[in-house]
This record gives sequence, C-alpha cells and structure tokens, in this order.
Amino acid sequence: MSTYAEVAPHERRHLLPLLGGYLAMLLVVLVIALPLYWIVATSLKERPDIYTVPVTWVPNPVTLENYDGVRQGVPFLTFLRNSVLITGVLTIVQVVLGVLSAFALSFLRFPGRTLVLLLIIAALMVPNQITWISNYALVSQLGWRNSFIGIIVPLAGVAFGTFLLRNHFVSLPKEIVEAAEMDHAGPFTMLWRVVLPMSWPTVIAFTLITIVNEWNQYLWPLLIAEGSDTAPLPVGLTQLQDAEGFTNWGPVMAGTVLTMLPILIVFLLLQRHMIKGLTAGAVKG
Amino acid sequence: MSRSTRRSLTLISVALSATLLASCAGTGNAEAGDDADSETGGGEAVESITFWSNHPGGSKEIEEAIIADYEEETGITVELVTAGANYEEVANRFDAAQAGGELPDVVVASDVTWFPMMLNNAITPVDELWESQEVDSENYVDSLREDYLHEDEHFAMPYARSTPIVYYNKDMWSAAGLPDRGPETWEEFAEWAPQLTEANDGLPALVLPNGSDYLDWHFQGMLWTFGGSYSSEWDVNLTAPETIAAGEFLQEQVEAGNIAVATDANSDFAAGQAAALLQSTGSLGGLTETATFDLATAFFPGPSPRTTTGGAGVAISNDIPDERKAAAMDFIAYLTNAENTATFSQGTGYMPVRKDAVESEEVQAYLEENPNFRTAVEQLAEIAPQDYARVFVPGGGARIGAALDRITTGGEDVTTVFTELQEETEEVIERDVNPQL
Repeated sequence: MSTYAEVAPHERRHLLPLLGGYLAMLLVVLVIALPLYWIVATSLKERPDIYTVPVTWVPNPVTLENYDGVRQGVPFLTFLRNSVLITGVLTIVQVVLGVLSAFALSFLRFPGRTLVLLLIIAALMVPNQITWISNYALVSQLGWRNSFIGIIVPLAGVAFGTFLLRNHFVSLPKEIVEAAEMDHAGPFTMLWRVVLPMSWPTVIAFTLITIVNEWNQYLWPLLIAEGSDTAPLPVGLTQLQDAEGFTNWGPVMAGTVLTMLPILIVFLLLQRHMIKGLTAGAVKG
Repeated sequence: MSRSTRRSLTLISVALSATLLASCAGTGNAEAGDDADSETGGGEAVESITFWSNHPGGSKEIEEAIIADYEEETGITVELVTAGANYEEVANRFDAAQAGGELPDVVVASDVTWFPMMLNNAITPVDELWESQEVDSENYVDSLREDYLHEDEHFAMPYARSTPIVYYNKDMWSAAGLPDRGPETWEEFAEWAPQLTEANDGLPALVLPNGSDYLDWHFQGMLWTFGGSYSSEWDVNLTAPETIAAGEFLQEQVEAGNIAVATDANSDFAAGQAAALLQSTGSLGGLTETATFDLATAFFPGPSPRTTTGGAGVAISNDIPDERKAAAMDFIAYLTNAENTATFSQGTGYMPVRKDAVESEEVQAYLEENPNFRTAVEQLAEIAPQDYARVFVPGGGARIGAALDRITTGGEDVTTVFTELQEETEEVIERDVNPQL
C-alpha cells in the first residue's frame, strides 16, 4: 500500500479534492440514510423502547410485533394490491402516451405541431391540484367514484413525459434517422428499431420517475377512494395514525418500511438498466 | 404522408386531446346538486345512507359495530366512508363534493370546520328535524349542543367531543414535593414550575403541542383566565392588553424553560420528558397504555371559565332530498343514543355527549374505576363556547396557531405578532365572512 509521501506530486494534487469529495458524499449519504435508518430501527422496537430518552440507536430487543400491528390495524395486502394496480396501469399508460406523443412531435410533420408543443408546455405549468375540484365533479357525474378507473383516468395524462422524451428524441443524431428514412422505415419501425434502442436510459429514467410519483399519490386517491377496496397504500397508512388520539409510531414506521420496500426493489432493478444503457451509448461514441 | 403515419397521427391526437380534456375538464357542473334532488325526490323510502367519517380517536371498529346494529334493527344500509385522515381532509372532500359530486347524507364536522360548511349552505339546520323525528335535543349536554348554534339554528350534533385537560406525572410531582393535584391557576403553575424543573433534571414542567397541532385551542383557555380572548363575537380582541399579557406569559414561560412546545407533545410526555402535558381527553387511552409512570389528570388551570371543548359533531348535507335528511337524523339519533354514546366514549376517551349517558349506571361505574376519565366529565361544568376568531373565521385556528409558533419557538415580539394577526383576521372577516352573513 502506498503512503501519502510515496504518491507522485502531480497525483497528490488531486488527492485533496478527491478526499473532500468523498467527505461531502459521505455527509450527503448520512443526511439521506439517517432518517431511513431511524424508520427501520423504530419499526423493530418495542413500544416503550420507541419513547425512551436518551434515544436507543439499536432496537433492544428486536421485535416484529409492529409488522403484525400493521396487518391487524389495516388491510395491508388489499392496499398493496391497489397500489400495485394503480401504479402499474398508470406507468404503462404514461410511458406509452409519452413515447408516442414525443415521437410524433419530434419526427412527424403536421400542421399545428408547434401549437401542440406549446399547449403541452403550458399544461406543465398548471399545478395538478387546480383541476381537482372540477375533475372530482366530472368523475362523480360519470359514476366513477370509488373505482380504479376514477383514480386512474384523471392521473393518466401527464405532459412531463412528452416534454422530457421529445427533448431527448430531437437530440438524437439526425444521420441515423435520415438513413432509416432512406431505407423506407415507417413510423413504427423507426420508433421501435431506431429511436427506442437509442433512448432506453431516458425512457427507463422516466418510467422510474413515474413509478415513484404514482406510488406516492395521496390526495387524489383520497378524494376518490371510499374504503379499502380502492385506496392505495399512502391513503391506507394514515389509518394507522390517530387523529386527536395518541399515535403509536411503531406500526406507522413498520407500514412505512413495507410501503418503501417495493419501490426500492423496482429502483434497484431499473437503475442497473439505466446505467447499462448509458455506458452502451458512451462506448459507441 | 403514409397511411401508417396518418394512423399513428390520429392515435396520438386522440391521446393528446384526452390529456388536455383531463386537465381542463369540468367547469360547468353547477346543476349537479339539482340532479341529485330530482333523481331521488318524491317521497321514496330511503334504503341506504352514506356517512363520511375520519373515525376520530381510532373509532372505526366502534362505528362499524354501531352501524351493524343499526342495519339489523332498521333494515337501512349505512355506507361508512373513510373520507379523510383528519377533520380538515373530510371538510376538503365535502367541499369538493359540493361542486357536483354525490353528497354524503351524514358528515363529520369539527369545531373548526362546521361553520364554513354552514356559510356555504352545505349543511342543513337540524332543529326542525329534531321535532319531526322526535329527537330529544335537550338530552344532549347543553354546552356541547349550543356549540353548533348560529342565529337560533343548530347546524350539527355533538359526537366525538373532547376538552383539554392537564395530564401529570405523579412521580415527578412527588419528587418536587408538590401536592397531588394540578395547578389551580396559571400563577400557581409559574410558582411550581421551577420546583418541578429543579427536581427533575431540568426537564420542562409542561409540554404543549405546537401550532400545527391545536396550540391555538389550548392557549384559548389560558388566555381566558387572563381576561383576554381571541374575539368577542365578531370583534377581534387580539391587541387587548389582557390578550397580549397572556401571550407574554406563554412566551416568558417558554423562555424560562418551564414550558416546552413540541411537535409530538404526547410522545415527549409519555417518554418522561416533561412533568405535565396539556392535551385533549381523546389521548387518555393511548397515554395510559404507553406511560410507564403513575399518570394522573387534572382540571385545566382556572379561574373559570377555564377552557372549552373541541372535537367533532355530525352534520347533515343540505342539498339532499327531505326524506334523506329525515333518515340521516334518525341515524344520528341512533349513533348518539345513550347506549352508543357510552360505548363510543369508553372506547375512545371522548366525553359522553348525552346527559342520560353520563347518568347511566354503566358510565358511572366506569368513572368509578377510571378516575382519570372523571376529570373531563366534571370539567364540563366549567367550560365556555369558543371564540369566533378561532372557529368561525375560515382558517382561523391555523392562523392563530402559526402566530403562536412565532412567539414561542420563534421568540418574536408578542405585540407585533398579535397586531399583525389582528389585522389579518379582521381582513378575512371583512372579505370572507361579512358578505355571507
């Protein structure tokens, strides 16, 4: 192992900023990881242990009773099923809509194209919440209250995907697109064989953002869902908290851990593809 | 343009217009309420009613049990909807429903949310229904019933009602050599506090929930004992010398370390981090279960009127047919009859809202066994209705709570903060309340 003195001077110059970088990274990781650790640790503590002062960092003894508490307190599996269904459908719809509309806006010529793009950017600037009262009235008149369709349809159209993917598509090398056109590739061949293979990292990044977003949807499902039949996890979790009473934080934290887990797994799985896609592009250069 | 291009174009434009439609949908739905009327109008028998609740105090199972009995007895189905995690969420959803949704028949309305509902004509006066459905309104605890009174009409009925009381840690009390009772006045508290902190490792004598957790409700009682108030009817009273004196007292006590203001005051107290806690009776169940020390309760410090009540009532939608209103009243009367009141109150810690329930053998025996619960029931004799500035001005409680956070945790000047609050509150009354009264 080489010591600091053995390192050549020109390398030594880079060592300090490098150390500083690692230190900063460590700090950021701590800031992010500490609350997460605290949630997990609390979920494994016994009730008196949660409230002791000074705080205990390691649960002693470790118990799974809070996880039992979640199951007893709320129909967790039903909420989980609802969350998976809502998030799954919304993600598929948004990614498909996003890819198709972005493709149209970047590769097809049609009258009013710029106007459509402007409208989409305008839609991006309107906060979702503004439309909720009118959406609620509409969904209610359609008889969609307390149904998955009522939760999903108003959330399905999102301008962000179109905007993000369109910006990526127009940045693709023109030569490849032109070459495909010369080979008489139709729009779907072009999309499937030429554009998408060069865009997986962006598409996967968008998918990931969508999954996380939809998994965390709270207010809209809260307005529409009337019971555990359709309510997703974030709405269900609040039932573990006690309005005006005394909240027992153990089961709440256990519920939080269980809610985070699926999204963490999805993230780990998709993240690998994101990096793979990025490096594949880089090597081609 | 090739055919497939054209086809995909059509597809995309359909998708896009759906997106746009979804984001601009529904502005012309004013007649939705009338639709509801015409659909069900005409004196049909009501077969089912809807009840929107947030299950105050974790009462979902109790509500379900009462409903099951009701369904069996009457054959009417009651759909219990979790319409929010707290009173504000239920109110927001109820608001959304006014814009054209299907309305619930019965809705939970808190001390703070019922008045805006009334201003919007969203809930119906219940006095005539009391007569037509033969409900003995006199049997409800007077002060609780009168909380929903506006211009000779009542707009809700008491359901999950609580009052703030003092919880104290008897072990810390005896360590400080104090008598086994709560402080009678805030002056006495100020005398006791240094003894309590000294005997208990410098821990604060009292912990209070912060402004986002109803500090405005607790401070209202403190304020009254100083002769101040948030308002006297619609006259805002925040800059009165007595009100400012109370604010300064609170600030001094916080600065001296006698009072702590916390985000989760209940947990702090249960963990033995303060000698006493001001909190709703609704927390009694959870605190009794969690606290590892000898827990006692006491009256809110006086003199009288020392404090008020809070929590929730149940109201009936205005924009539903008359027969539904009548059915809703029948259900509420059942929900709050003597037996169910007793069950609900013991299951949650909320006060019994009916006189016959308080006098019932069951409740009397329960009070005998649980003296900590008795405090709340006895304190009922010494409460007063809330100040308009907190409960009737839209957003009033939250606004006052935020101002109290500024003088406690923020350490800002009391006169400045209260003067700003006074101006803001008057503005809101002028703008949002006066035109509708």
